[in-house]
Amino acid sequence: MTHKIFTLLSIILIAVFALSGCATPATTVPTEEAVVEAEPTQPAPTEPPAEPTAAEAEVEPTVEEQPQVTVTWWHIQVADDQKALWQGMADEYMAAHPNVTVEITVLENEAFKTKITTMMQSGNPPDIFQSWGGGGMNEYAIAGLLKDITADLEKDGWKDTFSPGALGVFSFEGKYYGVPRDMGAVGFWYNKDLFAQAGIEAPPTTWSEFLEDIQTLKAAGITPIALGEGDKWPGAFYWEYLAVRIGGQAAFDAAYSRKGAFTDEPFVEAGVKLQELVALDPFQEGFLGATWPDEQVVMASEKAAMDLMGQWAPGAFKDASVDKQGLGDKLGWFPFPAVEGGAGDPADALGGGNGFVVGKDAEPEAVDFLKYISSVESQIAQAEIGLSVPVVKGAEVGLTDPMLVLVQQGAAAAKYFQLYYDQAMPPAVGGVVNDAVQGVFAGTLTPEECAAMIEESAQMELK
Amino acid sequence: MYEASPGETILPSRQEVRSSRGLQDKLIIFLFLLPSTVIFLVFVVYPIFHSVYYSFFNWKGLGPAVDFIALDNYKRILTDRVFLIAVKNNLIIVFLSLLLQLPLSLGLAILVGRNLPGRAFFRSIFFMPYVFSEVITAIMWLGLFNPDPDRGFINALLILIPGVEPFPWLADTRTVLLCVFVVLSWKYFGFHMLLYITGLQNIPLDVEEAARIDGANRYQLLFNITIPLLSSTIRTSVYMSVLGSLQQFILVWIMTHGGPVNASEVMSTYMYRFGFVRFYLGYGSAVAIVMFLICLAFSLVYQRLTPQQDYLGGI
Amino acid sequence: MTTIITPSKNALQRKLPRIFQYLILSFFVLIVIVPIVMIVFGALKTRGEFMTRPYTIPFPPNWDNLDKIIHQPSFWRMMLNSLIVMFATTGCVVVFCSLAAFVFARTEFRGKGLMFNLFTLGLMFPINIAILPVYLVLRHMDLTNHLTGVVLIQVAFLLSSNILILRGFFAAIPVELQDAALIDGCTIAGFFWRILLPLARPSLAAIAALTMITSWNDLLVPLVVLDSDTLWTLPLGTMQFQSQYGQDLALVAAFLTLSAIPTIIFYTFAERQIVSGLIAGALKG
Repeated sequence: MTHKIFTLLSIILIAVFALSGCATPATTVPTEEAVVEAEPTQPAPTEPPAEPTAAEAEVEPTVEEQPQVTVTWWHIQVADDQKALWQGMADEYMAAHPNVTVEITVLENEAFKTKITTMMQSGNPPDIFQSWGGGGMNEYAIAGLLKDITADLEKDGWKDTFSPGALGVFSFEGKYYGVPRDMGAVGFWYNKDLFAQAGIEAPPTTWSEFLEDIQTLKAAGITPIALGEGDKWPGAFYWEYLAVRIGGQAAFDAAYSRKGAFTDEPFVEAGVKLQELVALDPFQEGFLGATWPDEQVVMASEKAAMDLMGQWAPGAFKDASVDKQGLGDKLGWFPFPAVEGGAGDPADALGGGNGFVVGKDAEPEAVDFLKYISSVESQIAQAEIGLSVPVVKGAEVGLTDPMLVLVQQGAAAAKYFQLYYDQAMPPAVGGVVNDAVQGVFAGTLTPEECAAMIEESAQMELK
Repeated sequence: MYEASPGETILPSRQEVRSSRGLQDKLIIFLFLLPSTVIFLVFVVYPIFHSVYYSFFNWKGLGPAVDFIALDNYKRILTDRVFLIAVKNNLIIVFLSLLLQLPLSLGLAILVGRNLPGRAFFRSIFFMPYVFSEVITAIMWLGLFNPDPDRGFINALLILIPGVEPFPWLADTRTVLLCVFVVLSWKYFGFHMLLYITGLQNIPLDVEEAARIDGANRYQLLFNITIPLLSSTIRTSVYMSVLGSLQQFILVWIMTHGGPVNASEVMSTYMYRFGFVRFYLGYGSAVAIVMFLICLAFSLVYQRLTPQQDYLGGI
Repeated sequence: MTTIITPSKNALQRKLPRIFQYLILSFFVLIVIVPIVMIVFGALKTRGEFMTRPYTIPFPPNWDNLDKIIHQPSFWRMMLNSLIVMFATTGCVVVFCSLAAFVFARTEFRGKGLMFNLFTLGLMFPINIAILPVYLVLRHMDLTNHLTGVVLIQVAFLLSSNILILRGFFAAIPVELQDAALIDGCTIAGFFWRILLPLARPSLAAIAALTMITSWNDLLVPLVVLDSDTLWTLPLGTMQFQSQYGQDLALVAAFLTLSAIPTIIFYTFAERQIVSGLIAGALKG
């Protein structure tokens, strides 16, 4: 029996190697396999006659002899009005540029992540696609899968239309690979009625006030906080924000540049503070298995008083409420409380946003189209339907929701803007942060163990 | 391993018939095997070797794999606490399936029986979960398990009992794996039941009848006659159940993502986490190969322990 | 098969009072149908009702969700794509597997055991583990964003189990038939086509039905292979109803309910075939 298996395996081996020319690791002979593997890194086949960009953009419509160009665009706005907005823009652009066809693929967030992973691994990125910038984008840039659009940004002052902080998220080692469309800070959304019911007059400004308010709310029979920790990232906000408040920019910069470490005191202290919070049992029943959509429903149905979340929360609460009105006037916002004795400035913010990056094989028309959808008019339209907290100067006027204005100002006022850890760092470290912090929420990891887990992964990923 | 049992294959008894046809038969055999073999080699066997190749690299999936690290990925897998938890969880699901799900399927198959009025109805209902996709199944049960009694049906029933509090089924590390098992059983017991029903229908009635006349009581009948006669079906069902339990993915991923804190982690969610969430493609490939070897080892041992040829046969 | 026609009941059943038997069965029927009923209820609620009171009876039922979906051209396009993929996959699986299973069950040649074992390896390597390397192969062949690519992968990963099952079915067909046919001057191909296939029809129907279910419900392969939404299949369509930061669960429920209806209709037609097909296969054991 055993020898049969061996015969079998060796025969398959021979067959497959013959079939595919699978390069054995040590070999340097450029077999077919090696060629396939090499493909993705080949520098983007030099852009077809590099010139035409400007010329073409100028001459535009009527010229029939222009070659037909297809621009593939992947976004994740599946909600009807948002999808329609993008489609409308693509239609307008195509009407003005008959030689350009914009092919849109709309994918739901999770599906997008799965699919873009396979696309990138096969070296085949779309021309324009959703990105959160930061570490995830950087990995694609290092692998040569993105197109450097720095020159386009410098031209005609396109670059200056963006707020610099938001645009910076899409740069890596001095080169830009995409542009933002949305940027906001995470903060506490709270239900004013429930706070009043518990007799809390003003939202807390310090961590100890915050913990006191939680006890007051509990004493009044109100669940203080909604949390979908099954998804992990909502809970990671707490730990990351505590690290921002306690260690400030210096701690993160040190750990990120490897002069320091994630086992440094501020990061352990963040875990200790988080433990204090968890010990009060402030979350709704079953929060460890709940998801972000569950969290929305808990807030929208007024079963909890607070929720630490980003700029998309009000829209989500509306979606999750029975009458689609959300919490209406009851909804308030306050920044993450300051931690006494912490090195961070209370105005510092944790947050992030969305944008689009350009794939390596994109034609100049793709960049021109990207410029079109990033115009101030487009940004105003996005802000009006609550799709984006705008990042293009002058588009704030589109922002009608007073809450979102607060968030936008919060982000703008921050002296130090900390990008979410899973975007500031490579996805692998971000994943470990999310996993480790969940351990603290579940009580299975101590603050030290949590910090050590993150540091272990940082050692592997950050150089 | 597969061994041709005598009488299974038929060669024409007459020598001349055989030789005159030899070449033609060979051609037919070749042509018959051609389509499936080509597709199988290209889309299944070749990717297996692809995975083996990448499993020797520290490769993040972007660009070529250049950082050759030999067996380091495997060393890390086998010493990683979380992977060992995943293996343990897989084994728990395997054992629970064998101890609870399959006996339940067999019991229901016997109850539905041969001539119970309405048996076709029961058979159809019990098989229905198998028809639904894993996505639908997961969404259905996520709703039922919701910790809020206003939203989750199970807790809504629970609080009808005086003094019982709603319970966060999927959020508690002690119960989450059990919940996953319940959902898996819900989905797959009908399939095994169907296998048993077909097996039972092949037991000649007179055998049971004779045993009964000889004074066997129903337990003797069950354990001495019915189950031994069903042994081939049971072996098949056990084999499929174990492999299915080891390879389960979409249901667990949608319901729990392997959490909370790895309490429902299984090998495939572990692989997905590293391959698609953290982009360690080399490492993820190594996990896939380890899973493959575990399944292969099980198959070999299982076939050795049960030497008879079943219709599933094979390795 | 020795079917003895006796009016007697199964001895095991006789001992249990019928009513008790029905009680147990009804209990399990309840467990099986409650989750299904819940999702149908969900489909008939407004989004708010679904989120706050998901398990109550929807009265009055809200037909808007279903109405919205059946009036979307994209729903019918996805339905069509799903049907195309399902029938193509099923056709290929039935044809290729019966050819191969016949060779393994009824002929003798050198290396047969080895070949057969090669196919069983497929059982150890399910598609959700293999998806990335499979995608790379497909891309190399320029078959991404084609329904053909989806069909090929589905077929490849369904070959192993169905060849194994069919081989058992074919091996169970009496040896004497083949002897007689060959002596009468039939080639083995002729025997396969004229005698074996008609006899095995229930078994073929059984694997066809199981293949259809698997293909219809497949999410991972179409997700990875297909880009443009004109090619999407129904499972991908559920994503249309999920927004980036939340979900319209009532609409998703309606979509799921509608997309499952074809399988259920189909299953009720095929169930008898599945059962009798599996019986034929179990004969050998």
